[in-house]
Amino acid sequence: MFLELRKVTKNFGGLAAVRQVDLEICEGEMVGLIGPNGAGKTTIFNLISGMYRPDSGEVVFRGTNLLGRKAHQVCREGIGRTFQLAKPFGKLNVVENVMIGSFCRIKDADQAREHALRILETVGLHHRREALAGSLVAAERKRLELAKALATQPKLLLLDEVMAGLNPAEIAQVLTLIRRINQMGITLLIIEHVMGAIMKLSQRVVVVHHGEKIAEGTPGEVASDQRVIEAYLGEEYLLA
Amino acid sequence: MTGALARLARALCGDSRRYLGLAAIVVLCLLPLVVRNPFYAHILIMMFFYASLGLAWNIIGGFAGQLSFGHAAFFGVGAYTSSILSVKLGVSPWLALFAAGGMAAATAAAVSYPCFRLRGPFFALSTIAVAEVLRILAIYFKEFTEGSVGILIPFKPGIANLMFRSKVPYAYFALLLMAAVFAVSWLIEHSRLGYSLLALREDEDAAEALGVNATECKLIAAVLSGFFTGLTGCFSAQYVLFIEPFTEFSLDLSIMISLTAMIGGLGTSVGPILGAFLLTPLQELLRAWLGGQQQGLHLFIYGTVLVVCVILLPNGLITWLSRRLLSLLRHLPAAAAE
Amino acid sequence: MSGQIFGQVIISGLLLGGVYALISIGLTLIFGVIRIVNFAHGEFLMLSMYITFWSFHYWGWDPYFSLAFVTLALFVFGLAAHRSIIQPLLGAPPFMQIFATFGLSIALQGAALFFWKADYRTVQTSYSTSTMNLGPIILSWPRVIAFVVALGITLLLFWFFKHTYVGKAIRAVSQDRDAAQLMGIDIGRVYLITFGLGAACAGMAGALLMPSYYAFPMVGTNFVLAAFVIVVLGGMGNVTGAFIGALIIGVVEAVSGVLIAPQLKEAVYFAIFLLVLLLKPSGLFGIAGAEEVGLK
Repeated sequence: MFLELRKVTKNFGGLAAVRQVDLEICEGEMVGLIGPNGAGKTTIFNLISGMYRPDSGEVVFRGTNLLGRKAHQVCREGIGRTFQLAKPFGKLNVVENVMIGSFCRIKDADQAREHALRILETVGLHHRREALAGSLVAAERKRLELAKALATQPKLLLLDEVMAGLNPAEIAQVLTLIRRINQMGITLLIIEHVMGAIMKLSQRVVVVHHGEKIAEGTPGEVASDQRVIEAYLGEEYLLA
Repeated sequence: MTGALARLARALCGDSRRYLGLAAIVVLCLLPLVVRNPFYAHILIMMFFYASLGLAWNIIGGFAGQLSFGHAAFFGVGAYTSSILSVKLGVSPWLALFAAGGMAAATAAAVSYPCFRLRGPFFALSTIAVAEVLRILAIYFKEFTEGSVGILIPFKPGIANLMFRSKVPYAYFALLLMAAVFAVSWLIEHSRLGYSLLALREDEDAAEALGVNATECKLIAAVLSGFFTGLTGCFSAQYVLFIEPFTEFSLDLSIMISLTAMIGGLGTSVGPILGAFLLTPLQELLRAWLGGQQQGLHLFIYGTVLVVCVILLPNGLITWLSRRLLSLLRHLPAAAAE
Repeated sequence: MSGQIFGQVIISGLLLGGVYALISIGLTLIFGVIRIVNFAHGEFLMLSMYITFWSFHYWGWDPYFSLAFVTLALFVFGLAAHRSIIQPLLGAPPFMQIFATFGLSIALQGAALFFWKADYRTVQTSYSTSTMNLGPIILSWPRVIAFVVALGITLLLFWFFKHTYVGKAIRAVSQDRDAAQLMGIDIGRVYLITFGLGAACAGMAGALLMPSYYAFPMVGTNFVLAAFVIVVLGGMGNVTGAFIGALIIGVVEAVSGVLIAPQLKEAVYFAIFLLVLLLKPSGLFGIAGAEEVGLK
């Protein structure tokens, strides 16, 4: 079992953001994580990546219990992530931004730079390498987020709404990129709201609502699951 | 041989920045010999002195973005460590010098570890508190520090005692110190540590998600910063030959240190040097011309200049200057095209 | 230590705390609403002390009489300082604001030193040295008055914040700037008034201090660091917290002066300061997370 969440729970001042969630991911999979806004998806990411500490339950990655590990340690273990609201290092340029990720495994600055440049080519940002990160447009920022996380040479990549705000052409490009990343051997757990994309991409989908897992299965199974439809549309809209 | 020399010359002249930089280094090395007037020699020493302090401060203030307004704490620890060791325990000042650096580094580590999790002004306030506490402790523990009376360092000139009759060796020592901190700063800037610190400064969460160990990086930065600040504290003691709690741990010193980096440009290696070279003569000259009779005037001017500079140049002098300089440099002769 | 001495020390501490309270309330307002560290706050105090002194010297005004005048003067000065220095820097990183207020602080100290020299100035009135007895405990009249007035002002401020539009606007901005703006509150004006108010509080404190203290250019630094400790202890932006924190610090200072050593009393409250920063940065009454600087 590549990544396992066992009954993970996280409360914020009395509110259960994530409640007894079980999750299993096998190596090489592309798993989608969907649910209405506020369902707790990003919180789950934060729990996996070490930004938050679970109140109870365990996160086990490749046999190692990640409890108590800080974010940078989790990254070293091989889990990379992007942030929903892209967080570029505004005062550094694009290649320097990616270098920060490269430095996770590479000590030498020149080698890190070369590595970063290769990553930029993979994501298609090489032409903007000297641009200040703060000056990028939204679609480019998303790619930069992706590049930074890729640079840490992760075995598991958590993608948080990388397609939000993109037009259909850009979405298609990102889809191709994500598939290529998966083919490189990286396991993916993807939060997404762009339903068409996630259903096309994922082999398996997990649905979360009010902090709990309410459904799991292939995209087809999940799309026709009553509970999932209710969660997204609300009971009033439930078709007879 | 001539081929290699030619290549070196071409390499140096090929980039106008490089030969200007070289020229600057040569000028700096010659200045202590050329400037003979004791007053101006003192200003030169102070320029190197504040540049060293600014560079050391910049390692955590500029690179890591943790703005300390209590660096006098490490300065004072350095000054007192070396003075107590050399005056009271007869240790050689050269050994005491490194002990001073070490103690200051240890203090920096001890202080930074808990305080670094504080952000912005809270961190600044905590550093001020630390410096104040140390000052008060220095006054209180009279048996070690002679309290408010201060420690007088007996004048025994000679290189073994790190004391000199003429200002020239002091100037070279200060220059060497500045060069050392500059080298360390430059190395950090172009290394993994430097990039990590800059990333931490921009967005700590994002940096940590990429594998940057915030605590470790900042701690290393703090230790380096403290070490060189402590060394400079020892130098100051050996130059002024008198230390007392109020001056060694003073808030004004802390502010002046952070100012040189801020005015020069945070996060660049050259910035603090520029800032120090600009601010120090201003301060010393003001103090000399106005200090005696019109006591408050130099403070008033200093404070006003500070306020005006902050409002007009929020990014520091170096950003503003570098744009001008870069366009100027492009007009200079260069042997080969870049 | 005998009960009487203990009582004496506690009461003196409380009285001292009363004056600290006014200074700190001003600072916590500025800190909590505008989110800047006003290093020049001590100099506002210093200015008001000098104004009180000069109005006594030239016009024979009793310090308590000039209280209103001094408060107004400092309010106006605060407005001016905000307009010229703070406002241009509102978007700048916090350390820039720190440098700017520090520059202001130095400039004011320099000006005071230049115009009025370093001599200690005192105001001698008929009641300067008079005392009253509370059982076995002796209290100095000026300090009691200062305490009572400080308490009165604090209560007045409570009323102001609870029941007036401006007061509520200020509270709103300190809690959530963006939401307040969306509600139609003019943030710029709130900042301006708050800064003036903060300066005015320091001004009041100065006038109240004059009968029992002395003015000199650097007097501000003595008080401003204590004020910062109190503001952090009480919780940034919290007026109740500042008042109670001030009383606590006043007592701590008085007690540690007697129990430990007079020279170490400042070290004690700095140590408390560091502990609070490390253990509960939001202070005794602050909202957790309020220690995140930047605007919520």
